[in-house]
Amino acid sequence: MRPILLQGHERALTQIKYSRDGDLIFSTAKDQVICAWFSANGERLGTYHGHQGAIWTSDVDSTTTLLASGAADNTIRLWDIRTGKCLKVWDFPTAIKRVEFSEDGTKLLGVTEKRMGHLGTIVVFNIKVDVNAEQDNEPVLTITCEESKATVAGFSFLNTFIIAGHEDGSVSQYDAETGEQYIHEPIHEGHIMDLQWASDRTYLITASKDKTSKIISARDLSLLKTYVADTPLNSAAITPKKDFVILGGGQAAMDVTTTSSRQGKFEARFYHKIFEDEIGRVKGHFGPLNTVAADPQGRGYASGGEDGYVRIHHFDKSYFDFFRGHVSAGNGRVGKHRKH
Amino acid sequence: EDRIADDKEKGAVVDHRRRLLSEWLAWREQEIEELQAERLDLGLPADYEEVLAASQDGEPEKVVE
Repeated sequence: MRPILLQGHERALTQIKYSRDGDLIFSTAKDQVICAWFSANGERLGTYHGHQGAIWTSDVDSTTTLLASGAADNTIRLWDIRTGKCLKVWDFPTAIKRVEFSEDGTKLLGVTEKRMGHLGTIVVFNIKVDVNAEQDNEPVLTITCEESKATVAGFSFLNTFIIAGHEDGSVSQYDAETGEQYIHEPIHEGHIMDLQWASDRTYLITASKDKTSKIISARDLSLLKTYVADTPLNSAAITPKKDFVILGGGQAAMDVTTTSSRQGKFEARFYHKIFEDEIGRVKGHFGPLNTVAADPQGRGYASGGEDGYVRIHHFDKSYFDFFRGHVSAGNGRVGKHRKH
Repeated sequence: EDRIADDKEKGAVVDHRRRLLSEWLAWREQEIEELQAERLDLGLPADYEEVLAASQDGEPEKVVE
């Protein structure tokens, strides 16, 4: 795999998102700028300026028309991807830790931070996927997290449910129309840092500080798979077309007590989605991986680090030769198995 | 004897993986069917990718493997 190193951010990366066709990558960082890149060659398409604080999150609708972002300046912003123009600013009493569009782009959710006097919430806006449309000022739904604040959330298939991961490691399923909580399951033992969907949004993957990542059914929150790592995890992605998951994490230098060659463990880890075992690691970052994202078209993945770099990886032939339904014994490694 | 034990172990791993694979595929099949039925009930195309393909000109880009 030949990585492309993107040097556009001056501070730690917070989230990376691909456009649905996989051609564009959007990255957010603590440096208050959103960058858009061409995934094929790493060329920068543009930047989106306006936020006045660390940007925690962004998302792009499935037609690559609108970009949403959330930041420490207590705003969610909506952008015209093509022109870079800010179309809407929604103000909140606290920081926005996560934004996500529904599959059809008609809804946008935001996860607001908990702070003295304010409980964490999940807000939902109706969206018109049109750069010339006037967007609503008020959310259509606000879910208040009384117990443990939500850290991540997203819409399931058909906008049926909102699934949220919480600070205490639990996962909730809410009715996306009414906000009624249907299920609340203790899934992890630590802070849930990431939640990403399978392409049809019937299942999702979580990443937790408890050093595990799990696949859960959106329909009933049943636990389907568990991936055990040796470091706290910040991010997890499901690769389309091939049965892998990619995990990213690592401990910040100041939290590492031992000095070894594996110090910090700043590697992207590949696990077999179905068999749950680790298949390989990809080195490169000089700090923890804060975010990993898989190309929706299955051609590669990107990672963003505490080190301020985005690394784009295009899978090579050996990756695609690692055929589905590989059932041999022993410890496979990415690139070792070749078709005959 | 070691080799026999080794082969047995490998056989167990293969059996285990076969079971995991068939369980996963069975679950996926059921989920996909259920989702398609729900989509059709709502008058939507069975697969969301079809919606996107129709909204963009032409076919979605094919992955070159």
